[in-house]
Amino acid sequence: MAVWKVSYVVKESSQAGGIINLDHALKPGEFIDIGRYKLEVLEAFELIPPRGEFHYVHATCKVVETDE
Amino acid sequence: MEIKELLRGVELFDGLDEHGLKEVAAICTRRQLKYGELLVKQGEIGRELFIVSEGLMEVAVSDQTAQRVVVNLGTGQLIGEMSLVDRGPRSATVKAIQDPTYVQVIQHDEFHSLCKRNTLIGYQVMLNLAIDLSFKLRHHNLSED
Repeated sequence: MAVWKVSYVVKESSQAGGIINLDHALKPGEFIDIGRYKLEVLEAFELIPPRGEFHYVHATCKVVETDE
Repeated sequence: MEIKELLRGVELFDGLDEHGLKEVAAICTRRQLKYGELLVKQGEIGRELFIVSEGLMEVAVSDQTAQRVVVNLGTGQLIGEMSLVDRGPRSATVKAIQDPTYVQVIQHDEFHSLCKRNTLIGYQVMLNLAIDLSFKLRHHNLSED
């Protein structure tokens, strides 16, 4: 059971981003809901080498929707 | 989901065999939180480690003038790992921002007892804990860019 541990960072925003496990490899263009924000993934890459079933990914995102 | 299956997807327990997962599962209890409910408060002494099993938690840090959200933690993430290691006060305030949110709770004392009793489990989870802290530090550094 592979797990992708993703660090989401939001560019040009005060939104804090997040760290969330996924069950699939993240690709640019995907959307993720974090709290009051909907984010679009702009870039995703392996931050450190995988260990066992765990992959460590960093993603930069932009806010596409907010309920604030 | 069975607790062992949940733990298998948590990095902290990566590398543990069936017996190890069973031992960890035996010291876990589940807690449900509503939207906005506080899990831990910055500055308090904490004696529990939490694993987010469903939902989303907001982590905020306060100084003398303001509070700011530093990260949101979803499924599989740890909360309270710093005080597990250094026994210091909680470094942030954490609340649920999805309804419902579920966490697994492990008492620090029970966790340390398990690691001492079974040093193979102890070595593996402490290595995994160091990797989790390293990943969070990298996330923080990239957030500051």
